[in-house]
Amino acid sequence: MSDPILEVKNLKKYFKTSSGMVHAVDDCTFSIQRGRTLGVVGESGCGKSTTGRCIVRLIEPTSGEILYDHQDINKMNRHQLKRIRKDMQFIFQDPYYSLNPRNTVYQSIAAPIKLNKLMPGATKSQMEERVLELMDTVGLAERMINSYPHELDGGRRQRIGIARALAMDPQFIVCDEPVSALDVSIQAQILNLLKELQEKKNLTYMFITHDLSVVKYFSDDIVVMYLGQIVEKAPAAKLFENPRHPYTQALLSAELLPVVGGSKKRIQLTGEISSPLDPPDECRFAKRCPRHCRDCDCGMPGLVEIEPEHFAACHCIGDL
Amino acid sequence: MLFAKKKKIAPTAGYEEKDSDYVLEVRDLVVHYELENETVKAVNQISFQLKKGETLGLVGETGAGKTSTALAILNLVPDPPGVIKNGEILVNGKDVRSMSPMELEKVRGKDISIIFQDPMTSLNPVMTVGEQIAESIFLHEDVTRAESFEKAREMLEMVGIPGARADEYPHQFSGGMKQRVVIAIALACNPRCLLADEPTTALDVTIQAQVLDMMNDLKMRLGTSLVMITHDLGVIASICDTVAVMYAGQIVEYGTLEDVFNQPMHPYTEGLFNSLPSMNHKEGKLKPIPGYMPDPTKLPEGCAFAPRCRYATKDCSKPLKPRYVSDTHYVLCDAYDNPQFHIELQRGGEACE
Repeated sequence: MSDPILEVKNLKKYFKTSSGMVHAVDDCTFSIQRGRTLGVVGESGCGKSTTGRCIVRLIEPTSGEILYDHQDINKMNRHQLKRIRKDMQFIFQDPYYSLNPRNTVYQSIAAPIKLNKLMPGATKSQMEERVLELMDTVGLAERMINSYPHELDGGRRQRIGIARALAMDPQFIVCDEPVSALDVSIQAQILNLLKELQEKKNLTYMFITHDLSVVKYFSDDIVVMYLGQIVEKAPAAKLFENPRHPYTQALLSAELLPVVGGSKKRIQLTGEISSPLDPPDECRFAKRCPRHCRDCDCGMPGLVEIEPEHFAACHCIGDL
Repeated sequence: MLFAKKKKIAPTAGYEEKDSDYVLEVRDLVVHYELENETVKAVNQISFQLKKGETLGLVGETGAGKTSTALAILNLVPDPPGVIKNGEILVNGKDVRSMSPMELEKVRGKDISIIFQDPMTSLNPVMTVGEQIAESIFLHEDVTRAESFEKAREMLEMVGIPGARADEYPHQFSGGMKQRVVIAIALACNPRCLLADEPTTALDVTIQAQVLDMMNDLKMRLGTSLVMITHDLGVIASICDTVAVMYAGQIVEYGTLEDVFNQPMHPYTEGLFNSLPSMNHKEGKLKPIPGYMPDPTKLPEGCAFAPRCRYATKDCSKPLKPRYVSDTHYVLCDAYDNPQFHIELQRGGEACE
């Protein structure tokens, strides 16, 4: 069972600003098993994208270990990093800004192949064949090979982003909100595509999103983040069936179901959201927590295993 | 003046009376954007009515013409290139299209107001939020500046922001609070009708739930009619009484919330529901709608959805007429000529059984 492709240990990322240190990611520990999907959920500003970016080292983490295939990414030099990045790719959130507007579809997809010298000595026609093959995998019509991004809509642009990530034949892909910018009918097309690719190539995904129904449909394991910290971690089915952390409970109750009379009783969160600027040593959710108790102000709660594979970070968890 | 007098004694007074049952009436609205060498057909023959206290949901994907419809209702379509080609828009029985700019000024904000999509950009960054709310009260009501400020504070309290924060600037508020300020501005003069264009799309789910609960509450208390524009079927289910599903500038299905959600008739509505990942069923694949929206400059003849529709036949290129299933429910699809025809909804979920 245990064959983690990625292990993250005590990852921290602080940003220095004029008014203090922003604790964007604070002491996150998790791992992803090969061939599975880890969903990372949370609201804007909870540090989920920052975590994703740290993992492929697009930004330098403040401290912590990131082990990809048992090798620490933070200790790698440029050369090693370039080699390992062939294995780990990134699909960006916004298909409108992540493509160079002056490059055609062919140029966008062929660029990483050329840069990493994956097909040394390939002729133009061989390269074109490979690009067409990738376009076919993601469902882009052949005639679009010389189109520019502005001529295509969001769904097709996102497909270019996926084709570009696949060009490296990666093992692991970080998907940062890959469908949030898309309409529901197109969103379903892209989700199906990602799932098919996973089955075919035994890919591992880290799937970052704020959309709960998407994450439930798509992931095997889920991590819930709040203000830079992991508050709950569990297999998807367990988490949705029996959320234990008060924040997860509120988050799940806020999801609007597209059925008549389908909305559950919502747990209202009141109070101010704590600031991520130099946060004090206490539970960061305490100020909004409906189950606030005296313990909440003394010290940060750590992740505790309450059931096998089900972790939550809350002082009151024993009383539930 | 003369016109107003005439109206009073006109024999059509009875008709007028009956008409004003509706807070908002849109008849055969057509909005085009005329560009140099092509015409974007954004809204094509839309009609709907809104009763007092009713909430209508306009649901559809990007480019379905939802926002153009809302802008047309307030006569705000950017001109050029936008042109309202045809149609009548009656707000409290008065035609918006024939109003002078002065008259429009009186109607906007007072009889009907709008919440724009993006709370981050629809507030003025160099005015305090109190000033921005008071501005609209001062314009429409017979009050002094001081009184309008007092009322502005009350409005802030009503949407759940401490009145003392009226002297702060928009950047000092979070996204959810900015959206509440925008709602407070829209509601400041107790409009009879409110257009809300994706009011919660930019917000997080917990904040979205708060804002929707608040809008539901205000609707009950003030009896405001609401047009809710969104692409989120979950939002529709939680706040609307009637639903209009839009596709390529037309209403393809219209009915009460129960009609449309429990017995969807149009293949596009079916496709929308099938595309949603269900919270309850994880197994199996999603059933997306194949293909893409048609180019609004080159709409196909007849049914615009036909190229993506799995039930389409060659008869679908004929002009369409709405087909009434019941008094409250109609669908724009010719397949129902065949009495045997039905769609196969594959949605999972506990409430649809």
